[in-house]
Order: sequence, then structure tokens, then C-alpha cells
Amino acid sequence: MQGLAFYNPIAAAVYFICAAGVAMFTMNPLLLALSCAGALSFDIALRGLRGRQGRLPLFILFAVMALINPLTHHNGATVLFVMNDNPVTLEAFIYGLNASAMIIGVLFWFRSFSRIMTSDRLLYLFGRLSPKAALILSMALRYVPLFGRQAKRINSAQKALGLYKDDNAIDALRGGLHVFSALVTWALENGITTADSMSARGYGVSRRTSYAPFRFGRADACLTLLCVLLAGAVCAGLASGALAFRYYPRIVSAPLSPLACVSYAAYACLAALPTILEIGESLKWRCLKSKT
Amino acid sequence: MALLEIENLTFTYNAAHTNALENISFSVGRGEFVCVCGPTGSGKTTLIRLLKREISPAGSYSGRILFDGQDIRQIDERTAAAKIGYVCQKPEQQIVCDKVWHELAFGLENLGLPNEAIRRRVSEMACYFGMEDMFDKRTDELSGGQKQLLNLASVMIMQPDVLLLDEPTAQLDPIAAAEFISTVHRLKTELSLTVIMIEHRLEDALPLSDKVLALENGRLKLFGPARAAAAELAVSPAFRDALPSALRLWGRFDIKSEPPFTVGEGRAFIESSFSNRVRALTREAYSHSDAPALEFKNVYFRYDRNGADALKNLSFTVYEGEIFCILGGNGSGKSTCLSAASALVKPYAGQIRVFGKKLKDYKNQTLYRNCLSLLPQDAQTLFLHNTLREELDGVDTQDLPFDLTPYYSQHPYDLSGGQQQLAALAKVLDTKPRLLLLDEPTKGLDARAKHEFVRIIKALRSHGVSVVCVTHDVELACLMADRCAMFFRGEAVSCAPAAGFFADSSFYTTAISRMTRGYYEGVSTLDEAERICRLNVK
Repeated sequence: MQGLAFYNPIAAAVYFICAAGVAMFTMNPLLLALSCAGALSFDIALRGLRGRQGRLPLFILFAVMALINPLTHHNGATVLFVMNDNPVTLEAFIYGLNASAMIIGVLFWFRSFSRIMTSDRLLYLFGRLSPKAALILSMALRYVPLFGRQAKRINSAQKALGLYKDDNAIDALRGGLHVFSALVTWALENGITTADSMSARGYGVSRRTSYAPFRFGRADACLTLLCVLLAGAVCAGLASGALAFRYYPRIVSAPLSPLACVSYAAYACLAALPTILEIGESLKWRCLKSKT
Repeated sequence: MALLEIENLTFTYNAAHTNALENISFSVGRGEFVCVCGPTGSGKTTLIRLLKREISPAGSYSGRILFDGQDIRQIDERTAAAKIGYVCQKPEQQIVCDKVWHELAFGLENLGLPNEAIRRRVSEMACYFGMEDMFDKRTDELSGGQKQLLNLASVMIMQPDVLLLDEPTAQLDPIAAAEFISTVHRLKTELSLTVIMIEHRLEDALPLSDKVLALENGRLKLFGPARAAAAELAVSPAFRDALPSALRLWGRFDIKSEPPFTVGEGRAFIESSFSNRVRALTREAYSHSDAPALEFKNVYFRYDRNGADALKNLSFTVYEGEIFCILGGNGSGKSTCLSAASALVKPYAGQIRVFGKKLKDYKNQTLYRNCLSLLPQDAQTLFLHNTLREELDGVDTQDLPFDLTPYYSQHPYDLSGGQQQLAALAKVLDTKPRLLLLDEPTKGLDARAKHEFVRIIKALRSHGVSVVCVTHDVELACLMADRCAMFFRGEAVSCAPAAGFFADSSFYTTAISRMTRGYYEGVSTLDEAERICRLNVK
């Protein structure tokens, strides 16, 4: 446990909502750049530089999306060149770059989100909303892989029994249907045992509570408050128009006001926060280790 | 005062003509361990489920069931759910949640306890059961034995007064089963918990029981202190097969002495009642045919690239017309070896031949026609239809050494464990295999079904079928095998004719062998023990 994962899931969720939420609803290039930088550095801090799996496809996606916009949209005043009788404009190019930066940034935030928010953390969040929903989620998380394994087991049992007569696709499909129907029967029959086990342990006796091994401590409250304040500052900047930015027909940016500076600084802090927590944690460990 | 009192209990299932239970009366005091035994269909499960109101079978009953002096139908819901705990025989299907800690908390969440109270009890229970290491694990990562202990712990967390167990060890290997039973016994002695346990493997359970309750055809055959009851059961044909070996041996002689339960007591009984003038029985040397049915040659296999080898330099040969048993602990590669033999997994090195022909030369699924057939561990994976008749439609049942026609109208899942296994066997034999692979075939079967199964397999062998059987059950291997192999970490570490195999191993051997070791030589089955004892009567 370290960094953001050390905090209560509610605090962590609030952080992700703030950081990704701002990035989702703005087209301001500086905010988007900050979002991308923050999300990417957090991803590297979590998975390491070598944990490149899944990172490369996102970069390719970024490049493709950034290129598609100027090729399909021809608004904008500054024509760079003409292709197939269609003008390719600087404004459309910049817009495409920013739009895909927004999407990639948010995707990277979600990548870290899924890493930090393991099933029990999500369950805890759901449990706050409805204990029943939390139970259903927990059961689904258990049964989906269970059915997968049983399907595999039925399939190999049937295979060794000669269910498949030949090595061809039609035969495989026919066998697959048999396996599926056997799986459904198995699931229903064994569901009875699970239902018995649930009612034997008092399911439905009274209003359920939802237990989770997490506490909401002072550090969690601080983090939550900090996130809300920083996000609030950014929102204030966005609402007042200090961060307004127009792409078409010509790129126009609002003049740099003090409020805009505060907003940019706040979002920079917000985006860098998890990386700082993560690095701070590992530095702390290194110090503690070298002392002993 | 008795904690549970059952008075003149008679129960009839809906739409049934006969009583499932008839006029049952007994009482159980606080802290007593009662072992319930009886043949399949004698009403054990019905009785135990009637004691747990939430899962009582549908039907009508007369008589009274009193819990702590109160009629069980009038207890309020919370008390009924918490104070009477129930664990059934299926470890996997009883688990509800995806994580161990959540499963532990499940019952308390149902009762609506606040977070802090749940946290405390969950930690306490995890400590008591030594579950700290698996607390954060997914429930499907656990072994069968661990799952069943988790089920027990998540019932115990509700602090019950009575624990009802319906064949809790049926699906476990012998080591996990012994651990489960000793855990239950520890709960009983340390918490003065009342335990009522249905069990068909009495080897471990009987020595720990205070009382025995025997049911036959829905009637109470006897109920009383374990020793006295056991002495009576040892001479009853319907019950004696399930008893511990020492007791069964005792039951075959008419000697007035305290009935022995454990291996140690059995040894004392033998030494005090018989001499050892004749130390060994004469036996024929075992010889096998020369034609190999299944050959493994330096086979290596692993499930994933970075994992450990599941099969490691595995070599052995099974000859035509013999029954070959493979013994070994969990994860020793026993089942994997059968999967490899039936081409369900592909080794990365080495060679497997079936009847002298390489596996990859069996094209177009010909391996599975008139050649090799696998009876998997879970017989339910074989059933695809809604009645046994449809299931066995087109299957040639004429030559089978058993008859399933009385059950044709039933759903395969509604059959007893033994019947399911036979139905599965009928399907497996339909491809007319010359080599039959069995994976834990007697798991969950009672003693009688087990003996029936052994008889059938031996009948198949006399028809020329070669059999490879993977099992945890040493007693089964001893009854059935011509040759045995012991697997350890994916290797066959020893391979010998059955008689020598069991005489040579000191732990992986039968209770009879452990009982007679050093006094007699090479005695490993009950029949052999009886014969040599008769030769040595004082």
C-alpha cells in the first residue's frame, strides 16, 4: 500500500472525479497539457517505466485521432495546404491535437483508476450507496470467473467423451452449444446450494449493512478537502471565463489574468498530486531503510 | 437441560407417499458431538435440514423440535439464523462473495451489525482459524479444504450454539478432511459447541464423537454413547462398511473387549487377542502382460510459461488389462497426468503413447472412439440433459455390470452421489474404451457405493479394459489396484505392484497396514488381516 492507494476509497474516488472531471469538460490547451502530464507521470509512477504494456496503443490512438480532425474538418482561417481540393487548416490541426489530448488524458486517468480501485474498493463505494448493490457486485465478481472455469471443465470432459466427432468448425459450434446448455443447468442447480447457504446465514433477516475493511481518517479528510478546493479554484476560473479559449475561426485566448494564473496553478497541483504522493512514499521508505 | 430436543418427529415430503422420517426422538446436550450415520436415503440430510428452519425441506411434519426449550418454529428470525449454524458438503457452491474477508463478514452484514462490530469479529475469527494469510485473497484461489474451513469460519462468526454439518468432508482429500474434523473438535472442546455431523468417513470422526445416531429407512436405529453404539453397528451389515478399520476387524471376531476406534487401539486389540506365530500370508507374485496400454516417457508440462512444471520428467507404463492407481497429494500432478494422457493438455517435451501409438497420430478425435475415455472428477460435467433417460439415450447399457433403469425418469442432478457416478460411468463406457481413465472416482461416495464401484471396475478389467485411476484414497487403491505409483511434484517417485507398494510405504498406506506393521508382514486389507488373525488365534 502506498501513495493514493493508501487513502480511503472515497478520498481516492473524489480525487479521480476532480482530476479527470476537469480534464473532461475543458478544451483549454494548458489544462489539457497538465492533465496529460499528470496522468502519464502517475501511470509511470504506478507501473514503472518498463510497464509499457498498454501504453503504446494509447499513444498510437493519440496520433491517429490528432490527425483525423484536420483531414475531415476544414474550418479555420489559416490554410496550411490543400489536399484533394480540401483545405487543411492550422486551427483544425490544433483542435484535433487538443481533443485527442483530452481523450488520452482521461484514458490514462482511468488506467490508474482501475489499478488503484480494486474490486474491494469499488465494493466499498457501492456499499455506501446500497448494501444490496455491493453484494450483487461481489457475487458477480465471484461467479463470472467461476462460470468460465466450469465451462472449460465441461468442455474438456465432453471432449474426452467424444462430443466432437470431427475436427471442423460446425462440429465445434454444435459442441459449444451443448456445453453452454450444460453450464446453464449446472449454474441453476448449484445456485440452490448458494441460496441455501445465504438464507442459512440469515440473508433477508434484517436490513443489511455493508462491511469494508477501510476507515475514513484525518488524512482522508484532508486529501478530500484539498481536492475539492483545488478543483473549485479551477472551476471558478472556467466559470468566470478567465480560461476561455476559442479555436475557430481563429485561435483566440483570454488574456492571462491573476485568476487564470491561480486556476492553472491549482490544476497543476491537482494533476501532480498522486505522483508526488507516490514518489514521496518511496523516498520515505528509502530513508527508513537506510537508517536501519 | 438438553439444548436440542426432538420428540416423535415424523416427516413426509410433499407429494410423497411414505414418511421420510418416522417417529424420531432424541436429545442433545450442550457441548456434545453427535455423529449421524446411515446408508444413502436413510433420511440423514432430511433430519439435519429440519433442525435448521431456513432450509427445511418442503413437506409436513408432526412432533416437536425444541431448541433451548422453545419450539423451533417460534424462535425469532435473528436467533434462528445465528444460533444454529449449517455447513453442507459442497465447498465451492456455499461461498457467496469474491473475497475471503467479505465472505467472513457476510452473515454479520445480514444481521445488520455496524462496521466496527463486524471488523472485530472478522479479525477474531480469521485469527482463530489461522486465516491471516488468505484474508485478502479471492475465494476461488483457495483449495477445497481451505474453502470448507472458510465456510465453517463464516458460520462460526455468527456465534452459533449448534453446528449442523452435512457430510462436510465428502469432497475433501483425506488430509484436508482430517484437518477439518479436528478443527470442529477443537471448536467443540474450546467453545463447548454442540455439533451434529453427518459423516460417511467415520475413520476420523468416530473417535472424536460423544454419541452416535444411526438412521435406517427413516427410523432411528440407535442413539447412544459412541463406544456402545459402535459395538452394535460393527455387526450390522448396513453400517459396518463405513466404520474405522480397527472396529471392522473387531466386528469380524466374537471377542469380548472394548471396541477399538483408532489405529493404536486396533494394534492393542490385535496384540492382546492374537499371537504372531504366522507372520505373513503367502501370496502370488503379480505379473502383468507385456503390451503397454499407456506410456509416459520423460513428459514435461506446465500450465503457463512462467509457472512451475506440473509434470516433470514423468515416466511410467501401464500394461494392458491391469488396474493402475496413481496416489499423491494435492498438486502432485495426478489429474494433470490424466489430462495429458487424454490429449486435453499438450506437454512441451516428452512423449505419450496410447496402445503403442503416439498421441498426435490419433487424428480427427479417433483417440476418443474405441480407445480411451476419461471419467472426470466432477461427474456433473458429463450431463447435458434433463432426465437420465435422455442422458443415456443411444448408450448401449446391455453389457454394463450395473443397472440404472429404476432411475431413468429422474434428473441426473437429483441422483445420489453413487448413482451419479454410475450414470457418468455408463456414458463414459459408451465409446467402448479399451483404456479407462478415472479421476478421483469415489470422491463423495459412501462406503457401500465405493465397494460397488470397485466391483464394477474389476468386472470391466475382466472384460479386457485397462484402468488408470487417480486417487487420494489409499483404502480404495488397496482394494482395487494391481500396481500403484506415487506422484510427488510432477514425478512418479515409486511404482510397484500393489502388495509391495503398501507394505513399503509407512504413511501412504492403509490403516490396517499401519495397525499390523511389525507384528505381521505385508498385511494391508481388512480381508487379509482377518485371515492372518484367524491363523493366529490364541
